[in-house]
Amino acid sequence: MSLRDAAIVAYAETKVVDKSDKDIFELDGEILGSLLDKTGVEMKEIDGLVMSGLTRTGAGNVFWAQTTADVLGLDVSYCDQVHIGGCSATGAVARAAAAIDAGYCSIAFLLFSDTPSEDNRSDRGFRAEWTDTYGLMGPPGSFGLLEQRYAHQYGLDYEMLGKLAVTQRNHALLNDNACEKLRKPITVADYLNSRKIAEPIRLLDCVMPCDGATGLLVMSRAEAKARGLSNCVIPLGYAERTNYRGGEGMVDITWSGHKIAGERALKNAGMTIKDVASFHPYDDFIIAIMLQFENLGFCGHGEGCQFIRDNDLSFTGNLPLNTGGGLISSGAAACSSHNLIEAVRQLMGEGGRRQVKDTRNALVTGIGWINYGRNWGSSSVLALAPNE
Amino acid sequence: MSTEQGSSAPVKPAGGGALSDTTDVKRSIKRFGFSKPYWEATREKKLVIQYCRATGQYQHYPRPVSIYTGRERDLEWREVSGRGEIFSFSLTYRGTAAFRGHEPYVVAIVTLDVGINVIVNVIHCEREQLRIGLPVQACWLPLEDGTNLLMFEPDRDVATT
Repeated sequence: MSLRDAAIVAYAETKVVDKSDKDIFELDGEILGSLLDKTGVEMKEIDGLVMSGLTRTGAGNVFWAQTTADVLGLDVSYCDQVHIGGCSATGAVARAAAAIDAGYCSIAFLLFSDTPSEDNRSDRGFRAEWTDTYGLMGPPGSFGLLEQRYAHQYGLDYEMLGKLAVTQRNHALLNDNACEKLRKPITVADYLNSRKIAEPIRLLDCVMPCDGATGLLVMSRAEAKARGLSNCVIPLGYAERTNYRGGEGMVDITWSGHKIAGERALKNAGMTIKDVASFHPYDDFIIAIMLQFENLGFCGHGEGCQFIRDNDLSFTGNLPLNTGGGLISSGAAACSSHNLIEAVRQLMGEGGRRQVKDTRNALVTGIGWINYGRNWGSSSVLALAPNE
Repeated sequence: MSTEQGSSAPVKPAGGGALSDTTDVKRSIKRFGFSKPYWEATREKKLVIQYCRATGQYQHYPRPVSIYTGRERDLEWREVSGRGEIFSFSLTYRGTAAFRGHEPYVVAIVTLDVGINVIVNVIHCEREQLRIGLPVQACWLPLEDGTNLLMFEPDRDVATT
């Protein structure tokens, strides 16, 4: 049904040449401008970007679709790169239709571009030209800039960040699947005294990349029922945002796409933030957890430290936080999926020594890639509940 | 695409609270087509930034289209003053490969007076001076091909408080 409800309203193409003298992003810009001119659609109305994974130019860049969003200034609620080889273009149409049907976006830009004559596949993006040049140290450097700015605008009690680090570490101590190297108790003082990486980012603010894998099996609820699979978890609401406010030149970088994605996901789930029974936020850096408290509305903007002080975030507390230890204390493995897996485990009542009491629901988030001089590039929010 | 191997400008001796100026870092800068006017202008130590005629707003880094309208035809390059203030900064204690051995160095976001942010190094700056809101001005690091790299230093013409 979703496919036949969708309509392709315009197409655009550039001339095919054996070797283009234009950059791939210039070609992208031509396609974008042409589609806007043909349809009268405004730039800001585009809220979906679906690209083909069959791109030699983008092959070495795992953030290709998001990078393209930043380059073009697209701020979208649905961002996808379809990885089915030569089926990607047709597959993109089907996925765009499904995304529109599901309410993830309403106007999707399908972009298929490649310049294989240009041997730039490993590094095409803005970083080589505009941030590597100045020694910006990847995610720790970017989060250092973000944390410093937050501290300037609102003040920052680093002991409260330490409380988050210790809470998550205590959870990892109860998680036999957590990386053993990280299963050692820490104190707030350990956090404060850990060495600086990109001041104000400390070692114990950061994730450690690790090896590992996870998986989920998903089917229709009817199918699950027919098979007698009654202990299952239902996704109640989902929303995402890529390149939030990317169509603006100056933004307050303490706001992220989680603000919009959170509102939409909770609305879809029929919940409010006060209903959240356990919280499993993406934690590539400790400050990211606090910023998500604020952006999702657990507390007011700039009140994150007070919120951390006022709440018990342990698995026995009033708002259990990353009960498996989070990525920071269990290890960043398996495409950073462990916080999602932990939420599912808890809702199935299989949390063992760290089982939370309130399993009415769980809220899981994602953070994906870093755009130029803003907060982070992609924000996702997923509300889950156990099968009734 | 072209690659510029960068520079070997004289190294400033590091004094008491002095931070690494990163001026002797061997930078390998990959450059791509539509940013060419930016780099060409740096030959004369001019800072040019993309300006969207349709909306009257600037944007950086260089894009193939206006991020405000999605159209290439709305863009032009305008020279700007190079004055601004520090929006945020980070002291890097473990640098990227090219910067290893130059730590700690400052990576900052600077807000230009035309209302856009650029990511840069701040040099000729003492640790004690460094703060959000510090007035800074553009300065240039020579590169081997005759272009110059945009850097920032404390603005000597503005009384710092």
